[in-house]
Amino acid sequence: MAGSPYDPSRAPVAYGRRAVPQLFSELQQQEAPRRMRALASLCDLLRDPERISCTVSGGFLEQLKVLLKDEDSIVRAKTCELIHLLTAHRIGRQALLSSSFLPHLSELMDDSSSSCRRNVQRVLNRLTLMPAGAEALLTLVPKLMLKLREEEEEEEEDVQVLLLSTLSSCSCLDPLPALASDGVSLLLHKLSDSSTDIRREATAALMVLSVCEDGMRQVCEEEVLPVLVDLLRDEDVEVQANAAGVIMYAAIINEGKRQCLELDVIPILLSLVSQDGEEEKDKERKKALVMYSLRALTALAEAPQGRCLLLEQLPLLGRRSEAAEEDQDIRRNAQNAVRVITWTPCNTGDL
Amino acid sequence: MAFVSPTKRDQNGSYTFSSRPRPVEDRSKYREPPSEQTQSNYGNIMYDRRVVRGNTYAQQIIPTTALPDPVEVQRQQETRRRTVAAKRAREQCRTRTPEALQGRKHIDVQTDLYLEELSDVIVASDIECQTDAFLDKPDTPLFIPAKSGKDVETQIEEGELFDFDTEVQALLEVLVGKTVEQSLEEVMEEEELAGLRAQQRAFRELRNNELEEVLRLKEQERRRSKEKERRVAQQKEVLRKEREVAEKIAARAYTQQYLADLLPAVFTSLRSHGYFYDPVEKDIETNFFPWLMAEVNNSLEKRYTARALLDTIIDDVAHKRQEAFKDTQ
Repeated sequence: MAGSPYDPSRAPVAYGRRAVPQLFSELQQQEAPRRMRALASLCDLLRDPERISCTVSGGFLEQLKVLLKDEDSIVRAKTCELIHLLTAHRIGRQALLSSSFLPHLSELMDDSSSSCRRNVQRVLNRLTLMPAGAEALLTLVPKLMLKLREEEEEEEEDVQVLLLSTLSSCSCLDPLPALASDGVSLLLHKLSDSSTDIRREATAALMVLSVCEDGMRQVCEEEVLPVLVDLLRDEDVEVQANAAGVIMYAAIINEGKRQCLELDVIPILLSLVSQDGEEEKDKERKKALVMYSLRALTALAEAPQGRCLLLEQLPLLGRRSEAAEEDQDIRRNAQNAVRVITWTPCNTGDL
Repeated sequence: MAFVSPTKRDQNGSYTFSSRPRPVEDRSKYREPPSEQTQSNYGNIMYDRRVVRGNTYAQQIIPTTALPDPVEVQRQQETRRRTVAAKRAREQCRTRTPEALQGRKHIDVQTDLYLEELSDVIVASDIECQTDAFLDKPDTPLFIPAKSGKDVETQIEEGELFDFDTEVQALLEVLVGKTVEQSLEEVMEEEELAGLRAQQRAFRELRNNELEEVLRLKEQERRRSKEKERRVAQQKEVLRKEREVAEKIAARAYTQQYLADLLPAVFTSLRSHGYFYDPVEKDIETNFFPWLMAEVNNSLEKRYTARALLDTIIDDVAHKRQEAFKDTQ
């Protein structure tokens, strides 16, 4: 427990309101061990939201900025951990954004110590939880992509996962910076990684990027679709769902439709949609997968060859669109798909 | 030299005094008057005139008035003068030892029973003392004072102070309760966060779903409108081509009709302009006739010149005859 006299690695904690200010004044001391102990106690204390609000309102964030430039790497890592705890709450995130911590944090991304880098990535990841944070981080997107490219050599899996999730949160707001820095080819490389987490995050980021037309085009150009079709048979449900999502977006444009039909993706999607005999909780997790697959099939049904293939498989989809299906969204998607498949030019009143 | 630091008021207002420590002057035991008078600012308190001596019960207390009464002052001065005068008078009347006769000297003599030797030399004797060398002595035994006083003892029996189980229950309740409460709060917080995240994920999936639908419909709309435009353009092209063909046909019919009697008209016009000619006739016209005309012209010219000459000759002759006639008149 922080402050107990038996714990030599923690500084003693003052009572009540004096705890945080006193620890911050400890941090200004010259001797490194005292600062380390004060940092350790602060890390324990700041899990409490009231302490966070006390820190923010007391204006101690400037001191943290100074500490970020300290020579000792452990101090820097601990300070980043502190900031990570601050980002757990909205007050902390807002305070961090308003006191312009981003330049310092982006410098620390190139730090020599790996724990420091990991903590900085955690902080950036948390910051993207709020839209203002994601907007602020948009400027850092090129640097993040650079880090992703470099990080491969060092094989830090969790840092890569964090980087990818930060990228996807930022690109939800505006995918253009990531696309401009050649994001699609980088993510393509990550898709074939051995770790499930990395694949999941990479496919999620790809899905976010392919929402805009530019992204759809790049996905088709860079030959991403074959890899995605392989990923549809992955073990992890989320990876499958995300891959289906990318395909669903890519199939909107003509080029995507053509490539998907070449790769013969329709049978795979149908097998994903038609799985019966699943348990309840599996259904929950697979809901996204089924929805995205149905949408992808709808998009592909707009192409003539696709429609021919799907007209034969109508009964299967019909089963999903019946009232027997509990999930309203899946039912709606299936009905939509059936409608698109059975559309003929004389059906509609207007063209 | 004594150095007395000025008495100053302390910060708290109390009085302080301090003086420098000064070494004691070393003097011989039986004091001789010092060779040089050391001017000392201090004096022996025993011989200080300002110190009150003797019985103070009947002492006259000097009034502490700043301005003493002038009458009083005068009276004091008077008494002082009188005492001085009286003292001088007494001194004069005092009988003194008469002076020694010539050749004799007064000398002090002890008249006591027991004579005492008076000398300057102070009898001094040296005495030395030396402690013995330390002898080994055994350790002093532990000093155990003799027992004194009354022995009293006391003991707290079980259950006299407090009952641990009952007392500790309250404490434990508070401690355990607080810990459990805190941990429950944290667990609830985490659950809430997890619920929020699940909600967010569900929302994001639905959003992706609808977004895809929107984009697909948008793309469909774009395709269809493009197709429509293309078809309209195509149709326009067809109409334009048809119109062009119709114009071409009309133009062709007209020109055909126009050109139908073009050929005879051309031939007649050419013939009328003389493009079809008889070569002999042409030759006669171009070569023979000009030569003929030129020759005719020449011969006619000759005739004219001859006639002109003849005219002049005639004229000349006529004139000459006229003149000759005149002359003869």
